[in-house]
Amino acid sequence: MDQQDIRNFCIIAHIDHGKSTLADRMLQITGTISERGMMAQVLDTMDLEREKGVTIKASAVRMNYRAGDGKVYELNLIDTPGHVDFAYEVSRALQACEGAILVVDASQGVEAQTLANLYLAMGNDLEIIPVVNKIDLVSAQPDAVAEEIDEILGVPAADVLRISAKDGANVPALLEAVVARVPPPRGQRHQPLRALIFDSHYDAYKGVIAYVRVVDGSIETGQALRLMSIELRIEPIEIGIFSPNMTPTGRLEAGEVGYVATGLKTVSDCRVGDTVTWDGNPADRPLPGYTPMKPMVFASAYPSEAGDYIALREALARLQLNDASLTYQPESSQALGYGFRCGFLGLFHMEIIQERLEREYDLDLVFTAPSVEYEVTKTDGSEIVIDSPVELPEETAIREIREPWVRIDVFTPTEFIGPVMDLVTNRRGQFKAQEYLDQRRVLLSYDIPLVEILTDFYNELKARTRGYASLDYHFNEYRPADMVRLDVLLNKEPVDALSMIVHRDQIHIKGQKLVSKLKDVIPRQQFDVPIQAAVGSKIVSRANVKAVRKDVLAKCYGGDITRKRKLLEKQKAGKKRMKMIGSVQIPQEAFMTILKLDEE
Amino acid sequence: MHPPVALYIHVPFCAARCPYCDFNTCAGLEALFEPYAAALVAEIRRAGAALNRPSARTIFIGGGTPTALPPALLARVLAACRGAFEVATDAEITGEANPGTVDQARFAALREMEVNRLSMGVQSFDDGELRWLGRIHTAEEAVTAFAAARAAGFDNINLDFIFGLPNQDPATWDRTLAQAIDLGPEHLSLYSLTVEDGTPLADQVRRGFIPKPDDDLAADLYLAACETLAAAGYVQYEISNWARGISESANQRISESQIRNSQSAIRNQCRHNLVYWRRELYLGFGAGAHSFAGERRWWNVRSVPAYIQRIGGGKSPEAGRETIERRLAMGETLMLGLRLVTEGVPDARFEARFGVGLDAAFGPQIRRLVAQGLLERLPDRVRLTPTARLLGNRVFAEFLPGE
Ligand SMILES: Nc1nc2c(ncn2[C@@H]2O[C@H](COP(=O)(O)OP(=O)(O)OP(=O)(O)O)[C@@H](O)[C@H]2O)c(=O)[nH]1
Ligand code: SF4
Ligand SMILES: [Mg+2]
Repeated sequence: MDQQDIRNFCIIAHIDHGKSTLADRMLQITGTISERGMMAQVLDTMDLEREKGVTIKASAVRMNYRAGDGKVYELNLIDTPGHVDFAYEVSRALQACEGAILVVDASQGVEAQTLANLYLAMGNDLEIIPVVNKIDLVSAQPDAVAEEIDEILGVPAADVLRISAKDGANVPALLEAVVARVPPPRGQRHQPLRALIFDSHYDAYKGVIAYVRVVDGSIETGQALRLMSIELRIEPIEIGIFSPNMTPTGRLEAGEVGYVATGLKTVSDCRVGDTVTWDGNPADRPLPGYTPMKPMVFASAYPSEAGDYIALREALARLQLNDASLTYQPESSQALGYGFRCGFLGLFHMEIIQERLEREYDLDLVFTAPSVEYEVTKTDGSEIVIDSPVELPEETAIREIREPWVRIDVFTPTEFIGPVMDLVTNRRGQFKAQEYLDQRRVLLSYDIPLVEILTDFYNELKARTRGYASLDYHFNEYRPADMVRLDVLLNKEPVDALSMIVHRDQIHIKGQKLVSKLKDVIPRQQFDVPIQAAVGSKIVSRANVKAVRKDVLAKCYGGDITRKRKLLEKQKAGKKRMKMIGSVQIPQEAFMTILKLDEE
Repeated sequence: MHPPVALYIHVPFCAARCPYCDFNTCAGLEALFEPYAAALVAEIRRAGAALNRPSARTIFIGGGTPTALPPALLARVLAACRGAFEVATDAEITGEANPGTVDQARFAALREMEVNRLSMGVQSFDDGELRWLGRIHTAEEAVTAFAAARAAGFDNINLDFIFGLPNQDPATWDRTLAQAIDLGPEHLSLYSLTVEDGTPLADQVRRGFIPKPDDDLAADLYLAACETLAAAGYVQYEISNWARGISESANQRISESQIRNSQSAIRNQCRHNLVYWRRELYLGFGAGAHSFAGERRWWNVRSVPAYIQRIGGGKSPEAGRETIERRLAMGETLMLGLRLVTEGVPDARFEARFGVGLDAAFGPQIRRLVAQGLLERLPDRVRLTPTARLLGNRVFAEFLPGE
């Protein structure tokens, strides 16, 4: 197809503002999906996405659209996630597009990721088409929201399209606007191939599937290709498009979006951000690619059964293909054996990875509590960076520890300024700026230690603002902090995986909370289990899990042995998710209790 | 020749529903008594004919409350058993009875149809506890019912009790036990109160209206009962079951060895329930009843009307079945057999059934449990240690799949 007739665009917004639902309508109007194949948020194909009602992965789909001018256009749409932890997905999608639809919920207005994603899109020089969505809602305030858009984007409120992704109102007009306003791609069709890998996944039969945006040249079946960064020759086994399922076409041309089934079995060879070119007549220079994201949160993953280590390694490698923001490194723990230290973009990201590993790869895992990265200057003058409590040197060997601080932007209705301020200052936050969007809404900026917003900050924020506030954050700088390691001893044995780094002022409070939470989650064993929290050799708090006295089913009734047995099997399956440490069984939850220390 | 079987007959009717009970039973279905009994008769006849009238060693009429059913109907059902099966002359025929639905005439009628063992759900001798449990009878009525049963000629009586009610006073439990011992039944079953999903009790606990029963308290009460009953000459032969040793001297202290050797304690065990624990054949009739034969287990539809309809329409009442493969069968043998706290699982029986020794099949599990002090490895059998009687699940689970 002539590049003039191609439009590549993505849909961006704050979480839940209706991106995936809008994609549904477009797929329907263009007849890409039959009425029978239609379901809500059809592009959210992962079980997890459907269960949580949240987009996790960006997904690309090609549509053929007959526009008002009578011509058929090829539209390549990328639906993106709205959650702050998946901003990396958005930024990659943007590089495959010339335009972006910015969706704003008519009842919620502009929120934190509306702005964050808008700035990302502007940074990529994309044509931005703002729309107010959900105008069908009784609580919709399309005019006010259009004003807000005017405020942030300078588009006259009257020019902002008002749509309902749910009932389809004005979505045809939006498609027309895409055709009219998103510039066509301007690739060099006669130059050597340059295609950007913006995503990938692993297929058991076809190997690594690279999702590509062809910038220059073209790809055709039978042609040998090359991954530029590692100069690896590949012979693709299939070329095609997403519509939305993978559909072979045998050809992709400059300006188009599609996939290349590389046949590669070595997952690490194919990196997101790499450029694909012709092997015979390679391009001179690769495309810019992506700046890798810096993980914010770290936690360890260990297989419940030591024998699953290799399976876990393989699973991480494949998952990384599909989620380039995941990082991991092998490590070992006295308590948990061999596993991996993983880096995540946030807690939600961590939760998703954990669930994907367990479901998609059928692994039973123990995850340790999340930590941030610290910079440490030792007394000998050397500098180290640690992301795990066990790596923290002896107190006497430390001259200074610095912890990461972030800048947070909180969007909230003005009446909640007080409660938000309160929450942030209670967590060592420092006020920076306040900016009124309009009379009802304000943007508050603070600097705050990252560790303070990890545990339950977001829920608290939502609770204090009746769900109205939204949050965005960016790494800011490292600042000195008086941190120490709090260790946990179970049955007198230190459990390295339960250690945490805490502020010296909080030793006693955290220690007490930690042991009492652990006491609640560690099941009673056949013997008493003392739990102690210690800093160095000093015990700061203790508790005791009393021995179990009774664990037996009373009645074997009327010969219903099957039920009895199933109950026991269930109990046993529950135990399976536990980790034996010494002679003590610890449930997976225990490692996560640290997360909930701030909850009452 | 089909090997001898045990028969279970389910009577899913009660005068009122107890809030803790999750058995398959209903109150207020009087209109279905007659058709239900007819369906039972039909199912029993069919099963007997299909197996060529095998012999039956025990019959257990359970519920629900069998005594809720008019005696004439029960008699018809038992007559059907005798017609369809070769019921041994010394067969144990047990009828469950609720102390609130019986009188001398009812007991006489049961004797008439040759029911020779009675199992009464007394639950407590404290009226406050009985009310809390939603029972329809008082302590005094239970005592009267017991006397009436004796007067009617029952010389093999079991009493059921429940312990571990939330905040139960140990002194009340002691008094209940003392009174039970005073009556001198041949058999006692003590069950700890379990909050079963879907019962009104579970609902109340979930809403926080009633505290959750406390396992530590239950453990204390259980140990107290073990001691009291042993001193009174009752021999514990299963986790929840005791048989009276020397009948004449129930109130006298007797030595452990005397009890072990006591023939009467063995005679007083419930032969029907032993069939379950030893994993032998049984056939269950009635709504929701379970059956087990060979390596197959199956169960009937739970709903009474559905059961009647299926039988009436000449269809099978079966609602589900499972085939138990060898490994699981072995595990079940331990899960069930270890409940018999003195008998345990004898090597000889296990080997005869599976052609492989206990240690060959479960060596690592047995060694682990012995090391944990939960299992005793005797030269000819394995059995629970006294501590493990309260921790049975931990032992049983080891032998089940799912590692
Ligand atoms: N009433 C109404 N509801 C809508 C409309 N568009 C979306 N919704 C609802 O809003 C919720 C979120 O919609 P999604 O399409 O999943 O939102 P999203 O922006 O893709 O969310 P993330 O991908 O998680 O960021 C769903 O319950 C939709 O049914 C609309 O136009 N009107
Ligand atoms: S009498 Fe027995 S079977 Fe009937 S409801 Fe009460 S406990 Fe359940
Ligand atoms: Mg979505």
